[in-house]
Amino acid sequence: MYITHTCLYERMSGYDLVDIEVTHESADDLFDSLSEDSNRGDHLQSIQAVRLQAGQPDSELRSLKELDENSVKLLEHQVDAAYRALFEMDGKALLADEVGLGKTIEVGMILKEMHFRQTDESVLILTPAQLAKQWQAELREKFGLDFVCNYDDEFEDFDAHDYIIASIDTAKSERHRETVLKRNWDVLVLDEAHYVKNEETDRYDLIDQLSYNYAFFLTATPIQNELTDLYNVVSLLRPGLFGTRDVFHHYFVNSNQETLVNRDELQDRLNKVMVRNRREDTDIDFTDRTIDTRTFDPTPKERELYQAVSNYVKGAYSQDQGQKLVLMLLQKEVVSSPVALKQTIEKRLYEQSELTHADELESILDLIDEIDTVTKQERLLDIVEEARDTVEMGRVIVFTQFRATQQQILDRLASEGYTVHAFHGGHSSSEKEQIVEDFEEEGGILVSTDAMSEGRNLQFCNILVNLDLPWNPMRVEQRIGRVHRIGQKRDVFIFNMALNDTVEEYVLERLYHKIDLFQQSVGELSSILSRLEESGTSFEDEIFERLVNAGSEVDLENDFDAMAVDLQEQRDLANKLEEFNSGVFEGFDLGESDD
Amino acid sequence: MTDAAVPVTQSAVEQFTERYLRSLGCSIEHSDDYWVVSVPDTTDTEIPHGKHTLVRGEGAPDGDDDSTKRLHPESAFFQRLLREAAERSPTGKLSIESESDIETPKWIQRSDVEVQNAQFVPYYDRTAAVVLFRVGIETVSEYQKEFLRAVAVDSRSEEHLPRLAESFLELTSVESSEAPSGSAELTQTEARPLLDTARELVINEIQDRLDEIHREASRAADSEVEEYRQLQEHRITELQEEHSNLSAKINDLSEQINTGDEDSRVQALRERKELKSEYEELNETLNELRERRDGGFPERQREIRERHSLDVQVTPLTLTEVEYERGEVDFELTNGSRGQTVTLGYGSGIGVTETVRCASCDQELSEQDPVQKISNGLECQRCAKER
Ligand SMILES: [Zn+2]
Repeated sequence: MYITHTCLYERMSGYDLVDIEVTHESADDLFDSLSEDSNRGDHLQSIQAVRLQAGQPDSELRSLKELDENSVKLLEHQVDAAYRALFEMDGKALLADEVGLGKTIEVGMILKEMHFRQTDESVLILTPAQLAKQWQAELREKFGLDFVCNYDDEFEDFDAHDYIIASIDTAKSERHRETVLKRNWDVLVLDEAHYVKNEETDRYDLIDQLSYNYAFFLTATPIQNELTDLYNVVSLLRPGLFGTRDVFHHYFVNSNQETLVNRDELQDRLNKVMVRNRREDTDIDFTDRTIDTRTFDPTPKERELYQAVSNYVKGAYSQDQGQKLVLMLLQKEVVSSPVALKQTIEKRLYEQSELTHADELESILDLIDEIDTVTKQERLLDIVEEARDTVEMGRVIVFTQFRATQQQILDRLASEGYTVHAFHGGHSSSEKEQIVEDFEEEGGILVSTDAMSEGRNLQFCNILVNLDLPWNPMRVEQRIGRVHRIGQKRDVFIFNMALNDTVEEYVLERLYHKIDLFQQSVGELSSILSRLEESGTSFEDEIFERLVNAGSEVDLENDFDAMAVDLQEQRDLANKLEEFNSGVFEGFDLGESDD
Repeated sequence: MTDAAVPVTQSAVEQFTERYLRSLGCSIEHSDDYWVVSVPDTTDTEIPHGKHTLVRGEGAPDGDDDSTKRLHPESAFFQRLLREAAERSPTGKLSIESESDIETPKWIQRSDVEVQNAQFVPYYDRTAAVVLFRVGIETVSEYQKEFLRAVAVDSRSEEHLPRLAESFLELTSVESSEAPSGSAELTQTEARPLLDTARELVINEIQDRLDEIHREASRAADSEVEEYRQLQEHRITELQEEHSNLSAKINDLSEQINTGDEDSRVQALRERKELKSEYEELNETLNELRERRDGGFPERQREIRERHSLDVQVTPLTLTEVEYERGEVDFELTNGSRGQTVTLGYGSGIGVTETVRCASCDQELSEQDPVQKISNGLECQRCAKER
């Protein structure tokens, strides 16, 4: 039996309605059953069976109970976002929490759940380059999910692995594009989704052409320049949700581009695809963070060594730019510890026979041998001693970039009678777990390299020392993030150590303090740095180039100041964007539902 | 309107399975993580006779042999059980007992007036047909949506009884193990018109949802049409460029023909001929494309809109004859020292069937404007306040 409905729906401006056809299926079975003399069973049970057949299988995050509570603390808004994205948005969602609310955790939960339900045969996570490794570590350590990253040695190509984290620019590159597009991915995750907002870019094109069943896009600022950005990002996820570009413009955007109109209707539609939690609606409450930067005068011998190394690096670089990485290493090591420097130089001297500046390096070795007092290490004792008296079990975590420095500090602290723990990349993951456990139980000092990655929770400790400083702000924030995180109940103290008139002091005073680095969250920082990265240079390179190319001390200071101005601008831009987005979405309920 | 589907939780799964298996005559021994079910040879079921182990919840099965099965919302065993149970007895009869609590209308519940006593006097036994419909809505741009809806119609008057449908859903929840039931007495001839009425009603009830999905599908179609239009626009621009390139080349060749020596003239003539036919072809394509554009690509539009069109399928799955009673209820109302008795039409499972108007303004008493004074007939809140 067919009945076709003629519909006289109110026509919304801008589009025609499609046909609608109603088919009434036959009821012969029911009539037959009526005429049967006796039914075979209990009618009530048949009704219940029909109602159960129509019911959604119990939708809950079943994988939650499998998570290790020590590895990840889930917050209500995160669980809620994961739930909505999976079950209410049919697995296609824009996760647009404000910065710092843990969107990565939300995705981790989603992926874990999909893994549990076996709907994740192939997963592609696209991120900005500098976040790829962090994603990998976080998913592994918090959720037990193993992904290959395009920066790993074992990475072959996009058709060779099933769980891949890659920078979006690698994926869109000529070399890989075809392989990426050829595959039908089960799940696509796109971090910092606002970078694909422009429909005329290669990035947009890549996402537009990718084929996938489920997709989760992340951004704290869905709108970058104009409200059309929102249209573009949402249309990638749900083509047609907003109708055509023209309709979106006429219907939702006030002609001056600054405000949204018909907000109720827009909210209804956004609610089908977007989750946005606001900080003020969550129970996240960070404790205070106090930064104590201590600079010291080096001893005359240390000063002499620093000068010698800096001159060597400058001279060698002007002759052969190909040595950049090792020269950069020397420049970083000289402010970390003489012993770190020594190892690298010896290695170069004895392993590369045809080395040009051998005699210069030999003389640097002599200078190293003359040093008997390492200022930073002496001053470190002040900090740990104070901690021993004032902090629970005297727990302090000391970060250094170099294993040689680490070993020397460990020896020194142990000889002073401190309980020490070492943490570096050479440990197996079960050893690492044991180390963190011991540190919590025995107290004392944990000396760690930057192998202490995202995912390890050290919130039982609230004092952190940066014995030397990475030239990469993300690294610095990652260190701090180990202790200053959700679950930290005490105020956190960060000590930065630097020698006066060294590169470290410049980086610290002229760059990091200028952008309030030590007060930024990872999210805020990544939005600053991603913008910088758009211009194609890394932060480390910027620092190094300035250092070796400056003609004079004054030049150098000016150069660093100029870089700081750039950074400040990026930061201001990022802040403005945040504000703009909160303004636009103000009054929209796109977060936790009340029911 | 309430959704008739029920959430399939593990406990619902276990409750239903146990009750169904026992009603078939199976016996069940419980352990913590599994049940052992014995299906006697005489049992009328598709489940193989003999002993089965049902492992509760998910996880790897203990053994691969056929007698070990999993019991959870998505397990094959449970799904099979549901199919069998659903087909077993799609029609039947249930009664709504009148001894259950008498439902006070909202316009009394929301007021300060208290009900001292309520007495139901049934006058007639009535029957209604309650039908569970599966409504499936399909379109390319959205996931298929499915609803299960209950519609109740009085057997004699064909009056729509939404409240009775709700009572029916309460009565048949997964928790309820016993309801007075039997075989339906309705004949096919009696049932047919009732079912037709119910079909119309169920469409009306989901109309809002249908409209919403309809609009979404229409928007999606529109985007696609727009995308196609832009693509063609782009193609036209490309062809136009090619067109003018060719035309320039032909001009160049004509120049050569006029000025060149014999050999190159012949060569140029030959080339020009080739290009000209290419040019004609291009011209034709371009004109055709422009024509289609000016007409708004009607075939393509039709094709896209057809693809996005909505298919709604309405399938009646069960039909229940529900016995209920109609009569009157005496509500003894008090408000302070005042008291009054009101007699109202009432049905078991459907509540008060009469509307009551304010004695003063003649407006219908409602949840928003409940009764306030009972001394002088029933007066509404608004009138009482105005005094
Ligand atoms: Zn009144």
